[in-house]
Amino acid sequence: MAGSFTIAEKELRDQMGSTRFIAIFALMVLLSVLAAYQGVDYIKNNTEASFVHIFSGTQMSFSFIQIMVMFGPILGMAFGFDAINKERTTGTLSMLLGQPIYRDSVINGKFIAGASSLATLGIGTIAITTGLAIPMLGYGPSLAEASKILTLAVLTVLYLVFWLSLGTLFSVVAKKTSTSILFSIATWMFFSILLSILATAIVNVMVPLDADLFIMPSGDSERSGPGRFQMTDEFREVMTQRTELTNLIMKISPTDLYQDTASAILGTAQGFMRGAMEFDRTLSLGEALMNNWANITVLAVGLVVCFAASYMLFLRMEIRPGD
Amino acid sequence: MQEHVVNTEALTKQYGDFFAVNNLDMEVEQNEIFGFLGPNGAGKTTTVLMLMGLSIPTSGTAKVGGYDIIEESREVRSIASILPEYSSLYGNLTTFENLDYLGQLNDMPREERENRIHEVLEIVGMSDWLDAKYESFSRGMKQRVGIASTMMKNPKIVFLDEPTLGLDPVGTLEIRELILDLKNRQGLTVVMTSHILSEVQVTCDRIGIINRGKLVLKETMENLNHVMTGAEDRRVDFKLNKVTPDLVKDIEAIEGVKEVKQENGLFSVYGTDDTDIHISQTIVEHGSTILLMKPREYTLEEIFMKYYQQEDD
Repeated sequence: MAGSFTIAEKELRDQMGSTRFIAIFALMVLLSVLAAYQGVDYIKNNTEASFVHIFSGTQMSFSFIQIMVMFGPILGMAFGFDAINKERTTGTLSMLLGQPIYRDSVINGKFIAGASSLATLGIGTIAITTGLAIPMLGYGPSLAEASKILTLAVLTVLYLVFWLSLGTLFSVVAKKTSTSILFSIATWMFFSILLSILATAIVNVMVPLDADLFIMPSGDSERSGPGRFQMTDEFREVMTQRTELTNLIMKISPTDLYQDTASAILGTAQGFMRGAMEFDRTLSLGEALMNNWANITVLAVGLVVCFAASYMLFLRMEIRPGD
Repeated sequence: MQEHVVNTEALTKQYGDFFAVNNLDMEVEQNEIFGFLGPNGAGKTTTVLMLMGLSIPTSGTAKVGGYDIIEESREVRSIASILPEYSSLYGNLTTFENLDYLGQLNDMPREERENRIHEVLEIVGMSDWLDAKYESFSRGMKQRVGIASTMMKNPKIVFLDEPTLGLDPVGTLEIRELILDLKNRQGLTVVMTSHILSEVQVTCDRIGIINRGKLVLKETMENLNHVMTGAEDRRVDFKLNKVTPDLVKDIEAIEGVKEVKQENGLFSVYGTDDTDIHISQTIVEHGSTILLMKPREYTLEEIFMKYYQQEDD
């Protein structure tokens, strides 16, 4: 492990001092503080809201969780997409591997450094946001709320490191950094934009929403108001099926797993329609973790699988002239 | 008997159907500069990468410094250094930081690292550039720092891959002197790959010519001329004021003379080393005057082309 830590130390120094890290960190803090400001405003106007809503915000506002859902993949992959192939393209890989170190020290060291940078970034952002929210609200989080914030920080780091391991995998698979950037952007677009479109399309085919469903049958349905759609029981059932199928498809998205789990930890439960956050039922930290252990496990397993694949491929990688 | 620092037996590297290195048998002796020659893509760098334990051979074995390159690759890398084709250290780091990093990877204590950095930079003449960033250096300076980096670990053997490639004449000369210095003053064994034949000719003690993965020649620089004319033969060119049929006949009769040729006004005699005096006497006895007498020395280019073409045929 001595080689791993030497490499990690060097990589960490490079990353922390890089313009890339400073710019990303500054952007993250700025966005999170803006989101927290909205959250603080919301908390002040809603007596039911608690301190942790500086991170979850409301249905309509921009929150820390949404920032992570949107930019987390890019953030995580940014620290890993060139971990190995940059060494190849600059010709330093053969020099590095020419030292009396085990080959896995290189990938371990780089991963440790990337994870440490992301942990600094994730935890740092949460800490700064919390620190700024306290004077704005005039009070701090309770012990239970502090535990939730701490758990959110751990979950956020896990989520970011998952993307780091995927980025690292791209850096091993792709010989050029330009190719791994494209892989990373394509992955980000798939999970952030395309998957929800794909899920809607699949749901529309498998559970179509017929116009007949809006017609109120005699007696047993609700009326939302004159001239409005009427929800029949059949409509409710179809909508439930559609929501469940959408949820199932979206479960392949790490961003979705993170969003669901983070929302649950912060005490907001999902409402009837996907994405609509309601404050009607606040979960305790234990409940949230119990309800979402599968999400956390999938994220952790995904992380391990991606890193294991990178590890194996790197150990078997043929060092060619020019590497 | 000289100790072999590098010893390969039927070393082979295959990519699909393509043999990058094919049944390579090669030895490199201690404290010699071995030139590994070949055209681009001949398998030179692949061989070096295998010898450093960075690329796994498809078959065959090799030892470097007595260590097996597969089973003991880490030990190999503790006594062997490589300078890749384009010396590459980290551009964003200074000379000191780059060398310090390599020292750390070699488990050297801080004080030892710092002393060693000053020593190796002194050797390559880059002591004044300790705090300059690697990316700010010219190609020649990068090569010099690169050579310093190979010496950080106090190696027994250094593999230099095309060390003078892309350098201007002054830079080439400086690196050449450095390579000779590695052998003569630092006591290292050097294996350098190159396709610049003139470079190898003035630097190396022995050469190996590799073409299409096969070693087609291994020879000391002194014996290269014999390689062209036959195992023990040499060629001497004479320019005489007159050549008579009897003279030719008498020279052909001298013991040790294999062949006599006349072309372009030159009278060339192929034979063993001890025939020169007898040939000279015979010429004088026949009343001819020797205007020029010159043992034929083949250039490495000629030798290389001979073997290169043989392989192609």
